[in-house]
Amino acid sequence: MPPGVSLSDFYYILPELVLTGGALLVLIADVLLPKERRAALAWVTLLALGATAAALVPFANTHVEVAHGLLAVDRFSLFFKILFLLAAAITVLMSIRYLETEGAASPGEYYFLILCATLGMMIMAGGIDLITIMIGLETMAVSFYILAGYIKPNQRSNEAAVKYFLLGAFSLGILLYGMSLMYGLSGTTNLRVMASAFVGQEKDPRLMLAVILVVAGVGFKIAAVPFHMWAPDVYEGAPTPVTAFLSVGSKAASFAMLIRIFVEGMPSMSADWRLLFYVLSILTMTAGNIAAVTQSNVKRMLAYSSIAHAGYLLMGIVAGTARGITATLIYLMIYSFMQLGAFAVITLLRRKDVVGDELKDFSGLAFRNPFAAFAMLLFMLSLGGIPPTAGFMGKFWLFSAAIDAHYYGLAVIGVLNSAISLYYYVRIVVFMYLKKETSGSDPVITPALALVLGVTVMATLVLGVYPQLLFRVADVSARTLGVAGITAAIR
Amino acid sequence: MVTLNHYLILSAILFAIGTAGVFVRRNLITILLSIEIMLNAVNLTFVAFGRALGSADGQIIVFFVMTVAAAEAAVGLAIVISLFRHKESLNPDSFASLKW
Amino acid sequence: MHFPILTSLVALPVAGAILLLLVNGDEKKSAPLARNIALVVSLLVFAETLLLWSQFNVASGEFQFVERHAWIPAFGIEYFVGVDGISLLLLVLTGFLTPLALLGSWESVQKKTKAFCIVVLLLESAMMGVFISLDLFLFYVFWDAMLVPMYFLVGIWGYERRIYAAIKFMLYTMAGSVLMLVAILGLAYAHYSAHGVYSFDVLKLYQLELTPHQQLWSFLAFALAFAIKVPLFPFHTWLPDAHVEAPTAGSVILAGVMLKMGTYGLVRFAFPLFPQAAMFFAPALAILAVIGIIYGALVAMVQPDMKKLVAYSSVSHLGFVVLGIAAMNTQGVSGAVYQMLSHGISTGGLFLIVGMLSDRRHTRLISEFGGLKKGMPHLVAAFLIVTLASIGLPGLNGFVGEFLILLGAFRWDPRLAAFAATGVILSATYMLWMFQRVNYGPVTNEKNANLPDLKPREWAVIVPIIAVSILMGVLPNLFLRPIEPAVERMLTHFHQGAPTRIQADVSPQPPAPSLRNAGSTR
Repeated sequence: MPPGVSLSDFYYILPELVLTGGALLVLIADVLLPKERRAALAWVTLLALGATAAALVPFANTHVEVAHGLLAVDRFSLFFKILFLLAAAITVLMSIRYLETEGAASPGEYYFLILCATLGMMIMAGGIDLITIMIGLETMAVSFYILAGYIKPNQRSNEAAVKYFLLGAFSLGILLYGMSLMYGLSGTTNLRVMASAFVGQEKDPRLMLAVILVVAGVGFKIAAVPFHMWAPDVYEGAPTPVTAFLSVGSKAASFAMLIRIFVEGMPSMSADWRLLFYVLSILTMTAGNIAAVTQSNVKRMLAYSSIAHAGYLLMGIVAGTARGITATLIYLMIYSFMQLGAFAVITLLRRKDVVGDELKDFSGLAFRNPFAAFAMLLFMLSLGGIPPTAGFMGKFWLFSAAIDAHYYGLAVIGVLNSAISLYYYVRIVVFMYLKKETSGSDPVITPALALVLGVTVMATLVLGVYPQLLFRVADVSARTLGVAGITAAIR
Repeated sequence: MVTLNHYLILSAILFAIGTAGVFVRRNLITILLSIEIMLNAVNLTFVAFGRALGSADGQIIVFFVMTVAAAEAAVGLAIVISLFRHKESLNPDSFASLKW
Repeated sequence: MHFPILTSLVALPVAGAILLLLVNGDEKKSAPLARNIALVVSLLVFAETLLLWSQFNVASGEFQFVERHAWIPAFGIEYFVGVDGISLLLLVLTGFLTPLALLGSWESVQKKTKAFCIVVLLLESAMMGVFISLDLFLFYVFWDAMLVPMYFLVGIWGYERRIYAAIKFMLYTMAGSVLMLVAILGLAYAHYSAHGVYSFDVLKLYQLELTPHQQLWSFLAFALAFAIKVPLFPFHTWLPDAHVEAPTAGSVILAGVMLKMGTYGLVRFAFPLFPQAAMFFAPALAILAVIGIIYGALVAMVQPDMKKLVAYSSVSHLGFVVLGIAAMNTQGVSGAVYQMLSHGISTGGLFLIVGMLSDRRHTRLISEFGGLKKGMPHLVAAFLIVTLASIGLPGLNGFVGEFLILLGAFRWDPRLAAFAATGVILSATYMLWMFQRVNYGPVTNEKNANLPDLKPREWAVIVPIIAVSILMGVLPNLFLRPIEPAVERMLTHFHQGAPTRIQADVSPQPPAPSLRNAGSTR
């Protein structure tokens, strides 16, 4: 056993180990189970996710660095791990009927890849070393490359996979080049050691180049403008549950990585990266919203909306204060529920002959399936930031963080953008409630989808009225980072 | 005398070549190769820094990057083949059922 | 602990809406039951507002029936509600108009009746919430939440161009209110810099000393949100569309209550929170108000559509309200509040009557009517009284408010009063001309000959309106008594905050940097 690594390190990565075991179990079960009983794989997957969640319990108040500072087990990573597990579970529930409709050959591989992606995200959230971050990122990304192209007979799905893969690999190159400079200039791969090594080097042009490269690399992952061009195509082409997971899990994991790298790794450079994110934030929300206005495909529209949301989320990073990070965490959690819920409704509309992601497919939904329409209405209002939904609370927190840090201009642009965004969210509502009923079979809600919609609707409503608990949890999570350091550097 | 800066300049040039390749080439396989060049530029930087700093971390991370690159290439080629079955073309411009 | 009566005003309609969700069955079976439940619930709410009035201490200008609970302590957000004389009467107005709006749409709404009743009740709940909130965050939540039911009311049960009108209404209002959100956050932050804690409590924020730049920008943000809602010229273009396309109930609630939220916001928030900036901008607001009075009246004169005519008359009448507020003296503000109530009654009545006519003929064009007096004398008589009330005939409700406003404006600047007074004459012209063309003369159109007169349900709608408008004209003191202490209290505070009219020292400067400097140099 190498020095510095002990058995206790394995104890601390218990949740990751359980998840890995679960993933392998799904893969084996896929081979062992007879064809007609493979539907049970979804429940095995959920069991694995549940076991992982249970394995998180002992670490509720842990705050340690594992394996010589490769991984941190702290409240911050715990917050994200809960988010990932929830998102993965909801995605699995959404996938059951979708896979049946698509007639996908082997659901086992699909669920295995979902679990692998979740594992990668969990490592990203915990990673405080360039090596672990990179491995987590790639575990997630490679799983998603395959998932995006999972419906092989569908050319749109294939194209989505190729585009996602090419731009993902390209962004990895950029990110790694930035990381190599970070390593070279600090002599370490550990972010926390790096932070102190960078003090006093703020004016080094090579370090600035590193910051720019890493911002660009991360920008691809969170789909910030101008690094967003893959997102609409991939979101539109990929299987709907995968799109949902991609737009929630991958985005959240990338934000976790972003916060780890910049807040923990380069607090002394905060003036530089905050400026870059300031520009990115404005570009992202504005371009995302304006592009979304013209879309007629709902998945594509939600892709642009998701881009715009990356812009809002960046506001918390730009603020750079503990309140800002808290706001980003809060909004990520809230965003996950409303986004997953919206995609669940799209999944619901998918039937043998109907893709169900065009605006016209929503015509008269309120009369064909009132519950689904009501859920979609709620998610749209929440994404648009109308009280008393969770989305309003989240945006409120983000804007207040920006104002707190004296970014009045950013807050004004943010609120104007959310007014613009209302236009296209309301358009879906118009189709659902105000347009003539179209003929065609009524979408049927399966128990799994009912559960998904129930959970997401409840979360969107409850967090809109009683957000206090989430606020406290997010606040504690954000404060486990060394944010105080940056705040001092800013003022 | 070959110093650290020589390595860094070489890797920067490699990286630039790779990046340019991604943008100007119109063949999926060539684009893939350009990305590999970028990753090798990264490797070179890590190794050069590792040697200059006398730390093993730089060498270690290169192994990880190589592994990751191999995994990516395997998956990537599989995806490209699957798409090729649909279209019989490797020109990204011909894949326009989604707006590029 | 006393019974949380204000909370119940918000909760009761919501409870009614939830009860309605349980009503099952197809349209034929569920519709009458749903209508009756909604009517009973709204009447209960009205009874509760009257109870509130009877328990209210009219001599005091302080907030009463206060309820206060922590909501989001991390940011000093509270569930903090209370009423003074101004909001009390607006609550009563809301409670009064909602059952009438339901009755007025009793027969004209024939599809998705259950949903219609739910939406009206939710709307009532949100409007009540707006008037009772004393926490800015809570206020904003109700303010925005109100948009959604109104959007559906116009969008589903409206006329031909309803979707366009609904979207325009929503986006217009939203665009105005989001900037107010930034200003609200800025205020909370200013409170934090001054006292070390965040607060959205209006009473605490009244006491806050702000720099001129903070006042300037915050006032502009608040005023924009409220000006769009009022609507003040030139932000009024959404109103005719929304009114014309809305169903009768929508028009009644929109004109009767929602427009008052803009002027209420000016009285409760924009002016007392930022007295110096308010002083600085008051002349500009007053001039826009006077332009609105005259412009609204002139445009109303040439409208071929009765509903559109009434809509533009609202622009004109609300101009008076803003003028009274901008004058910032007792007569002006009391008159403005009185005019808010009075306009709610008379315009609500006009929309209800136009609704009755259009139920009978399925058109609202003035040229389609004529000579109605012969066929339905009772309806025409009611129409006449409501028209006269709207014009401001002494002895009816419209007179008192306009008179007080003109008095207040005259004490401030006689020129404004003079221009505004022409609006009174113009309003008599367009209203009476419309009335004459619709009701007098020969019956030119066969279809008008045999229209039925008022039905029992319509009597039930129109009698309360006429009764209240006579009551308000004859016994204005009954209504002015709760208003005046609240207005006095507000004005005392206001003139402490803005001792003199500030001049050139707050010239506008580029937004972000100046605000940031203003914040950090405190």
